[in-house]
Amino acid sequence: MQQTIARRALVIDTFKNELIRRLNLPYTPEDLHEDVSLLGSGLGLDSLDALEIVLCIEHCFQIKIPDENVAVLRSINTVVDYVLEQQAQKGGRA
Amino acid sequence: MRTSPLRGQVAAAGALFSSRHGVEVVSRFGACRAEHAAVRDAVGLTDFSFMRVFRLPEEQGIDFLDGLVAGNVPKIRFGRVLHTFLADRDGLLVADCYVANNDQEFIFTCESILPDPQLDVLLLAAGLREANAEDLTTTHALLSLDGFKSWEIVKNIFGPDTVGLPYLSIENCSFGGEPVCLLRAGKTSEFGYLLMAPVKGAAALFDALKSETEQRGGRLCGVQAHDDLRLEGRFFNIFREGQRVRDPLPLGLQWMIDFDKDNFSGCAAIKQRRTGGLRRKIIGVAAQSEQAALEDGARIFHEGREVAEVVASGFSVVLDQPLALALFPVELAYSGLSFRLGAPDGPVVRSLSMPPIMPKSLMVKLDEM
Repeated sequence: MQQTIARRALVIDTFKNELIRRLNLPYTPEDLHEDVSLLGSGLGLDSLDALEIVLCIEHCFQIKIPDENVAVLRSINTVVDYVLEQQAQKGGRA
Repeated sequence: MRTSPLRGQVAAAGALFSSRHGVEVVSRFGACRAEHAAVRDAVGLTDFSFMRVFRLPEEQGIDFLDGLVAGNVPKIRFGRVLHTFLADRDGLLVADCYVANNDQEFIFTCESILPDPQLDVLLLAAGLREANAEDLTTTHALLSLDGFKSWEIVKNIFGPDTVGLPYLSIENCSFGGEPVCLLRAGKTSEFGYLLMAPVKGAAALFDALKSETEQRGGRLCGVQAHDDLRLEGRFFNIFREGQRVRDPLPLGLQWMIDFDKDNFSGCAAIKQRRTGGLRRKIIGVAAQSEQAALEDGARIFHEGREVAEVVASGFSVVLDQPLALALFPVELAYSGLSFRLGAPDGPVVRSLSMPPIMPKSLMVKLDEM
């Protein structure tokens, strides 16, 4: 379990810090609950911010988000799930 | 006990009532799961008149509201709605609120866990009367229209301009010659609208919405279905996890707070707890079988010791399994982990990323329909 937590915590910390920096959010990483909605309610980010989030993920993790995959951007946790899944697939192929 | 201005209409339609903090609410009409499914697949109409509603002139209301709620009221743009909360002096949750900037006035709504007289004491002490607030709670009815097809009904009744309304915005409409405030809101993760109408025109509006709802395969709903819908969509529910935890920080409501403000109710206590660091927070958990007693207050175990408590539980119709929120120590508050429910050797529950479903409403673009 500790390995799973460590792997997930690393992705969460990286993503939160980059998100706060890029979008100039007035919060600390601890303030951002991983389930908080990124778009619409919750952080209330708009479509331009969504583009920034996609760039943030690509920059931090070298992972592409398909245009049609809106489900990934629903919360920090859904982003992290996607990143971990893609990293696992890359690792499997390596 | 306060009752809804629409009590006669909903009772005639078969409503089953219960009491919540001194207010009568419609629990359900029939099977809760059918009402839940109606919102996900079509549309549900629910009497939300249990909410408190106030109208305040902009000039006096802006300072009063900004000194009261955790969000930043002066920053609300014209026609937009702020989702925030009201806390008591100890920084503990009292109400889940919308503040709408409606031209020369503010509309302020509260889903409160305080009975009306106690909420009134808090609001009056904060200067409600001096702000020239008008209490609309008993003079207006509130209806919630939620679901994948709800936008069609709003378009039919109020016109095509309503289709482009962004989430968390307010529009002034009319029905049968009476004014109707239309808030594009909702906490189900499907399209949602909150409609506020004076008592005089509310019954006719209810009948029209009910007819349109039923034509689309939808149905009347109660608050029980909404409790599960909110849980499934991971919308904050003041009547479930809010009431049980009370502290907005473990609940993950920091996004509702403007931490640059230092004058809202409960501000000092909340900031002090924030400085002290977060020790626990809520995360989603799911049981593998419907037999697992994933109920409010149930204990969760890890390596033989109790680590967490279920603070809101329900059933996900979409996932077809019990679903809950539990309060975990932050070092274990991650999704994708397995725990035991009720005892060190109890049934397995798994923490999960929320929201766990993809609603139909997020898969369509209204301007392309």
